[in-house]
Amino acid sequence: MSDTFFSGAPHWTWFIILYFFVGGIAGGACFLAAVLDWFGGPEDRPVVRTGYNVAAVGAILSGALLTIDLGQPLRFWHMLFQSANFPAIMFKGWSPISFGAWAILVFGFFSVLSALGGMAEEGRLQNPALRAVGGAVRGGSGLAKVVGGVAGLLGVFIAGYTGVLLSVTNRPIWADSPWLGALFVASGASTGAAALILLGLRRGASEQSLARVSAFDTKALVVELLVLAIFIGSLGSVNRVWLSFWGLVLLVGVVWLGILAPLRLHLQRRPVASAAKLVLLGGFLLRLATIFASEGVDRYRVAAGM
Amino acid sequence: MAEAMGFFTDTTVCIGCKACEVACKEWNQLPAENGGIRELSGDSYDNTRRLDGIHWRHVRFIEQFKGPYDGRWLMMSDVCKHCVQAGCLEVCPTGAIIRTEFDTVVIQSDVCNGCRACIAACPFGVIDINPVSGTAQKCTLCYDRLKVGLEPACSKACPTDSIQFGTITELRTRAEKRADQLKAQGVKAALYGADSDGPLGGLNSFYLLVDEPEVYGLPRKPQLPTRNLAKSAGFSVLSAGVLGVLALVGLRKRRMDQVGGSGGSN
Amino acid sequence: MGSNMAECHPVAFRWPMKAKLNGAKLIHVDPRFTRTSAVADLHVPIRAGSDIAFLGGLINYVINSKRWNSDPFFKEFAVNYTNAATIITDDFKDTEDLEGVFSGLVKFSEPPFWPYNGLEGRYDNATWQYKRTPKPAARVEITVTTAATGSTTKDLIAKRAGPPFDDLVRSLKPGPAEKDPTLENPHCVFQILKRHFARYTPEMVEQVCGSPKEKFIKVAEMLLENSGRDRTSAFAYAVAWTQHTYGVQMISCCALLQLLLGNIGRPGAGVMALRGHAAIQGSTDVPTLYHSIHGYLNAPSALRPHETLRDYMAAETNPTSYYGNLPKFLVSYLKSMYGAAATAENDFGYDWHPKILGDHSHIASFAAMADGKVKGMCCVGQNPATSLNGGATRQALRQLDWLVVKDNWLTETATHWYLAPEVKSGEVKIADIKTEIFFFPSTQIAEYDGSFTNTQRMLQWHSFAAKAPGDCRTDSWFYHNLAKRLKKAYAGSKLPRDQGWNNVSWDFDPDAGEEALYPGEISARKVLREINGYQTADPKQHLKGFAELKDDGSTTCASWIYCGCYPAWDQNLTARREPDPPGVPGAHLKWGWAWPANRRVMYNRASADLKGNPWSERKRWIWWDPTFVNPPDPKTGKAVPRGKWVGYDVPDFGATKAPDAQPKPDGIGLDALSGTQPFIMRADGKGWLFVPAGLVDGPLPTHYEPHESPVQNPLYKQQTSPVHKVWAPGKPYNKLAVVGDPKFPYVISTYRLTEHYLAGAMSRWLPWLAELQPELFIELGKDLAKEKGIRNLDWVVVSSPRGHIRAKALVTDRIGVMHIAGKRIHHVGMPWHWGWMGLSTGDVVNDLTAWVGDPNVSIHEGKAFVCNVEKA
Repeated sequence: MSDTFFSGAPHWTWFIILYFFVGGIAGGACFLAAVLDWFGGPEDRPVVRTGYNVAAVGAILSGALLTIDLGQPLRFWHMLFQSANFPAIMFKGWSPISFGAWAILVFGFFSVLSALGGMAEEGRLQNPALRAVGGAVRGGSGLAKVVGGVAGLLGVFIAGYTGVLLSVTNRPIWADSPWLGALFVASGASTGAAALILLGLRRGASEQSLARVSAFDTKALVVELLVLAIFIGSLGSVNRVWLSFWGLVLLVGVVWLGILAPLRLHLQRRPVASAAKLVLLGGFLLRLATIFASEGVDRYRVAAGM
Repeated sequence: MAEAMGFFTDTTVCIGCKACEVACKEWNQLPAENGGIRELSGDSYDNTRRLDGIHWRHVRFIEQFKGPYDGRWLMMSDVCKHCVQAGCLEVCPTGAIIRTEFDTVVIQSDVCNGCRACIAACPFGVIDINPVSGTAQKCTLCYDRLKVGLEPACSKACPTDSIQFGTITELRTRAEKRADQLKAQGVKAALYGADSDGPLGGLNSFYLLVDEPEVYGLPRKPQLPTRNLAKSAGFSVLSAGVLGVLALVGLRKRRMDQVGGSGGSN
Repeated sequence: MGSNMAECHPVAFRWPMKAKLNGAKLIHVDPRFTRTSAVADLHVPIRAGSDIAFLGGLINYVINSKRWNSDPFFKEFAVNYTNAATIITDDFKDTEDLEGVFSGLVKFSEPPFWPYNGLEGRYDNATWQYKRTPKPAARVEITVTTAATGSTTKDLIAKRAGPPFDDLVRSLKPGPAEKDPTLENPHCVFQILKRHFARYTPEMVEQVCGSPKEKFIKVAEMLLENSGRDRTSAFAYAVAWTQHTYGVQMISCCALLQLLLGNIGRPGAGVMALRGHAAIQGSTDVPTLYHSIHGYLNAPSALRPHETLRDYMAAETNPTSYYGNLPKFLVSYLKSMYGAAATAENDFGYDWHPKILGDHSHIASFAAMADGKVKGMCCVGQNPATSLNGGATRQALRQLDWLVVKDNWLTETATHWYLAPEVKSGEVKIADIKTEIFFFPSTQIAEYDGSFTNTQRMLQWHSFAAKAPGDCRTDSWFYHNLAKRLKKAYAGSKLPRDQGWNNVSWDFDPDAGEEALYPGEISARKVLREINGYQTADPKQHLKGFAELKDDGSTTCASWIYCGCYPAWDQNLTARREPDPPGVPGAHLKWGWAWPANRRVMYNRASADLKGNPWSERKRWIWWDPTFVNPPDPKTGKAVPRGKWVGYDVPDFGATKAPDAQPKPDGIGLDALSGTQPFIMRADGKGWLFVPAGLVDGPLPTHYEPHESPVQNPLYKQQTSPVHKVWAPGKPYNKLAVVGDPKFPYVISTYRLTEHYLAGAMSRWLPWLAELQPELFIELGKDLAKEKGIRNLDWVVVSSPRGHIRAKALVTDRIGVMHIAGKRIHHVGMPWHWGWMGLSTGDVVNDLTAWVGDPNVSIHEGKAFVCNVEKA
């Protein structure tokens, strides 16, 4: 019996699940965008810009979701500054939620810059101030690459730290395996790629770009499946928690619909959009199942067999 | 810093009167759940069910019977353990959770923003949101009373001295004596959390139990949440590395192919 | 036994737990495995209502045990300090002779003017008396100077002798009782009780009580082992020993056992009555009861020879115990009642004092109410709509013209007219209820000054902590102002019956300079001063103790037993809070004040042996110090011989009466007792194993079945107590189950929980308490649950002949099946705190209970009756 069964559920539900999902996509998409920004060709620019946009919107959305989830939303800044000692910085390197808060802020900053740079590249900025900022980091410029690269690295972090955050608790499932962060990184990569595929189609991305992203997605899905298997294996006896509705979601929703089905579609070279949609669904269900399966454990009763 | 203060709860003399619960609620002005209108839990005489933001004391009732009248009924007043190494304090991103001069762990309600990281971090399930304040709350070991030299409300109210308040040094001596007395009577008595070399550096609210910790809803070996940090981060980096390589190699290789194939038309 | 102390007296339970830490063993004998059982060393299940069989079994086991017969302590104690050696009249017939009843049983006919005594039979106790040698006729030898010397009681009454009333008291002295210190005489108390309890074998205990034989024997052995010179055992009981048709006999049986074990009058011994919280003890000391006046004197009664003051004294005075001073208590009480109007000429206003007509107890009054014989009722701090056969009680309430409810909340009693189950179901129409109900909001205990008397007879003064909100007023405010208005209403009336009101002394308004807590509030200190008493000529001269009381009207004292609690105008001893330091035995004489005379252990002369030495060093409490130099008598100035009772406590004995002192031949009061008779309130100075007078239902405890029982009495042909009470017999609202009624096969007991208080007015409205036990439940065993297909938390219907209610099932092994008289019987239990008002609501469990009760004290049988349980 794991000692994690005696802890309390933090009521991290819909806002947090959405955040984990959105953050994962944003982070994954940003990372891929940065890679393509650095190493891709001109035909990849639409995908790069889409990625930065997804990242920027995702970062802002993430911040908003996290804030409204707070019991006291107006005190969101307490995570960044010492409330009694403003403007002294509030930062705990060993607390994922603390460095995560900073990471989102910085990620947001860089991804918005990159997105503005992308918009400037497209000439879509009207506001003079924004145009000035965007112009400084115009897409394709050296500075933009640096900014985008930073955003991309932070993106990986954003996608993965949420899993680490869950592991750095005492809750069933989450704290019972060190693989959740890795799993979320993989899922962030696959869903980020899927988001790029879906949005890229509409934003005039080249077929080559999409094919490459799609190929990457296939690999990411394989990695994800592998990590998921390791994760489940590492849970050991805690796995009996999956003997619930959420276990079914994990098996059917995540493994079957979210990983195996899109893999099959990819391998059959069927339309990438449907595979991407399934990947997104699977990514969402992965968060849903891992969060709710743990949230639903009624403390010690399950553990004590009562 | 003053001497470390805390509770020693001798569960063998707990009579389950719940005076601690009521005294706590009265002193700390905690609301009743749903204004006091509730349903019977059906779990022995325990209608409190858990520690949370409005229940800072919780008396557990454990019926262990083999047949009619044949068994025992264990009771235990549970509370925040004021761990020497506190998981809640460790993860709290706002600095709301502090260690006081009495070596107790207190959540400052005006700093906490209700992120709930501490709830998941606590290995004992002590903390939860108080719906009135919207912030995480738990036992403060009556910090306000300690400040003016009073003992906490619960131990003051406990009629049988099941809950004892004092300096940790003195309480540990007392607890060991009591455990030895019980052992001499053939009772399987054990102290939980009284060892500063034990889990979490010892608990400043520790217990005398006569059954396994799990029976009382206590983890056998409570741990800090950050025990997972390095590993989890490492595997994440590993995963990110693999994916990064895949991305770099995959995306870059195509480009090289393309360059080779089309002669660099860009 | 008879108590769930940890749950119902959790604060006092601190001390048993401390004792346990010091090595004491706790035994809990109870139908349920409760929170008390949880911390006891041994729990023994027992069927509710069978405690006399259990205790009788212990008595039988003890007196036949090797230890009791080999350690001389036990016989020494029994022969000298109890009436074991006393010989009973030859005419006495025991239950052994009469198949379960005693000699003297006669039929009772209800008097037409008050047919609510609930009795079918009663005992004439003439044959239960001590065998006595004739009175010594040598009265002429005695130097007495009053004219009454040699007169009979009748003459003295006719001559209106006294005050002083000493001759009247002296004339009541009977001849000495015959004794056999060898305890061999077949008519001596010891032999009678030995025969009486011979059938209470361990096997029989198992049959009757359902208690496993091995566990019973373990209890007996533990008690024996822990009693004697060096050790003492104590019993604690509460309402689970009183709420029976033979509750007084249960307690009596325990006292008998404790006397045999030498466990009375000694530290760590005794029979501890765990009375209700706050001031239940106070309410019997300074009674709100119908049958007694202050200090446990019987209320003047129209049914007894109480015609005049002297008749009352003759009937009620026990000449050879401390009660020989009754005339002093009574006259001082009457002076308190009627003040200056009470004079020797008008017998201190005795004729103005109301007299009772019969049983005016709670149920009797409600039975009369149901018959339309009661016009109005002041219901103060009580919630009868949820008590004792609730359906019948509410039917009675509906017959009232007016009803005053004074409480903290609108209780069930205040709202029964529109929310009672029979009204909601349409069975009773609101329009048909003519009662006018007045509600007075009440203060809570922390909102006024006053004293509590706790279960150790200790008065503790308390000051208000906060002012009550709004128009909330105290109960004393209510009665004070009602009395003032009544006095005004009767003023000028010349009718003889109104003279009591016209002459009653009523001066409780605060004196000038003392601020009233609320407008029109009394001075609580003034009330306690009146209770303590003072010199009539100068009310500022307080009495220092009841030894100062006089029978000539020169002292005024409302309650003699409280005399001394306020020994000077500005000295309120009840407000003391000085505990003994650690490491001493801890009589805590400077904490509050305990009646009588601040004694903490009553009859503590028994803590020393015949010579006045402690029975053992370990159990030292008070002892005779023969070298003590006494000051000269302050009144006479004469020298007093050396020697005094000293120790940790205030001696409950003549302070300078030597152990070898002999009774004075014509002495009354304590002068009639020797230096070795510790039980100074008893006529023979001894603890009564056999009770010749005072109990109406038998001189020895005898096991009877509860009125409603699933089995025939396994011990006797007589099923129930032959003199127990059944009020409103045959009425549709008080239907009763027959023995072994198959419609109601289960034994049920009702009880309380730590989390709630009585009928709930102080707990069910309070969110913090309501959430702790939020709903009514029934505790039932797993076997019964299986038989009936009931799962934990299922709704069930519980029914008795009086009604049916719904509750949630709490299925547990803490209660269950028992094997009684060859039958397998399920025992269930329900807490009774609920009603339809408040935050935590539930059905009224007392809708199941019956109007049957104890003949001595008229309490109902709520602890043992029968019911049925079905899945809802």
